[in-house]
Amino acid sequence: MAKFVTIGERLSTTAPAVNKAFTTRDPEPILKRAKQQLDAGAVYLDVNIGPAESDGEELMKWAVQLLQSELDNVPLALDTSNKKAIEAGISVYNRSKGKPIVNSADAAGRIENIDLAAANDAIVIALCNGEGIAKDNDERMGYCQLLLERGLEHGMEAEDLWFDPLFLVVKGMQDKQMDILECIKMFSDMGLNSTGGLSNNSNGMPKHIRPIMDSALVAMAMMQGLTSAIVNPNDLRLMETIKSCDVFKNNTLYADSYLEI
Amino acid sequence: MPFTPKSGKFNASINTVEIGTGDKAVKIGGENVFPLYSFDAPIENAPKVGIEITDFGMEHELECIKKYYEGCTTLAEIAAKAASMEGVDFLSFRMEGGDPNGANKSTEELIGELKEIAAAVDLPLVVCGCKNAEKDAELFNAAAAALEGKNAVILSAKEENYKTVGAAAGLAYKQVVGAESAVDINLAKQLNVLLSQLGVDKKSIVMNVGTAAAGYGFEYVISTMDRVKAAALQQGDVNLQMPIITPVASETWGVKEAMSSEADSPEWGSQEERGIDMEIETAMAVIAAGSNAVILKHPESIKTISGLMKELV
Repeated sequence: MAKFVTIGERLSTTAPAVNKAFTTRDPEPILKRAKQQLDAGAVYLDVNIGPAESDGEELMKWAVQLLQSELDNVPLALDTSNKKAIEAGISVYNRSKGKPIVNSADAAGRIENIDLAAANDAIVIALCNGEGIAKDNDERMGYCQLLLERGLEHGMEAEDLWFDPLFLVVKGMQDKQMDILECIKMFSDMGLNSTGGLSNNSNGMPKHIRPIMDSALVAMAMMQGLTSAIVNPNDLRLMETIKSCDVFKNNTLYADSYLEI
Repeated sequence: MPFTPKSGKFNASINTVEIGTGDKAVKIGGENVFPLYSFDAPIENAPKVGIEITDFGMEHELECIKKYYEGCTTLAEIAAKAASMEGVDFLSFRMEGGDPNGANKSTEELIGELKEIAAAVDLPLVVCGCKNAEKDAELFNAAAAALEGKNAVILSAKEENYKTVGAAAGLAYKQVVGAESAVDINLAKQLNVLLSQLGVDKKSIVMNVGTAAAGYGFEYVISTMDRVKAAALQQGDVNLQMPIITPVASETWGVKEAMSSEADSPEWGSQEERGIDMEIETAMAVIAAGSNAVILKHPESIKTISGLMKELV
């Protein structure tokens, strides 16, 4: 029913330029990447500051305030293993364009991030994973139940838990791809929202192949009911596919300029 | 278990667009509920009613309209009389005579008439064209300039002339731009996108999504309006949140139910009553489907619809 939610993944410490900008508190490269993603149609921006063990709280506050003050309160996903940094980020977060997203909780060591999201009226990405990769969908759905109940016990609305099936790399785990798609269908049948790092599927593939694989997978996943994904919004083919699928799903009304809006 | 009513209001809302200036300015749109669903949330601006006159004055009008304008000789007098009718919120001037396949009046002549009318009334103005896209581009360009500062509605830009009309009315002279499509929801959205891309403020756009007289392919009109409001409110589509203005009179007074004389169709009864009925039924149906303003002609229809709106909203 609602339009697919894209979460732009390009503000990540895994990119050396971004890492340097975070470390030196240099706004320019961060804002530039943020704008590029928003111009390309990203709804949320992921802010991955890495583990940030020493200065995470101060860094996350700086990043949230920088992005929101310069970019009309853009909604953000706060992405770090440092819980205190996520809380610090939420403490200065403006909700006028959407709740903050806590990225992420899982069914093992990071389950307390559900409690954190509940306490702060945030959305949480709930990774259906324990220790190691789930062996099948029974295991995934077990984690899904566990995470869902944890959220509800802490007073969350089910719609604020976005379940992540954990997209797997094709090169090496090709035989598991349909499991992931079936898992998305199970989330959807339960009326749950879902998301995930979709481009993981094409890790290790040649650069010109990745947009093709990512686009094909996003179309199949949207058919199964995926409601969001963490993606590179500057991948034109992928964004065109998402917009086209939103039309087929009747999430948005078609107009000839639909790719431009 | 007690019944807890759930409000059907939406997070999204229709844009509020003000037309005209000063005390007589009116606002249309603004609601965050389906049409007339004031039980879900208050509707601040009830649908508004305009009265239509044309550059032909009373020349082509039926006797049942003419009688209300007795003694009026100039367009200015006709306009003033029209503006004084009960329930009228705004005045619509249709430059019918500009049609190159009809009277083919010059732009200068028609704009001269428009200025006379603008000087004679203080109600908000809506300017309609002659339905020839090329001539309309010229007429609207001149009309937008002639009415500078009046915050008038230029009704309207079409696919064929949106660049000229949008640039003149929306950008150069800051009027409200109408975007017209003929019962084609995808084009309705597309035109709003194109006008926005041209630089026209989305909050200065109103839509005419097309209409017909009730009974004449009318179900398409209703489903188009329904779908527009659903996309605007349920899906929060910013390219469809513009309020809708529907010119009703120009459709309903041209069908046989309104045109056929009592001599030709004695079994149908009073011609005047038939015409009024067609106009009221069509107007009420498009309002119920989402029109934020209607343009009518017969004073009795205007009084009725205006009264209904006061009761319903």
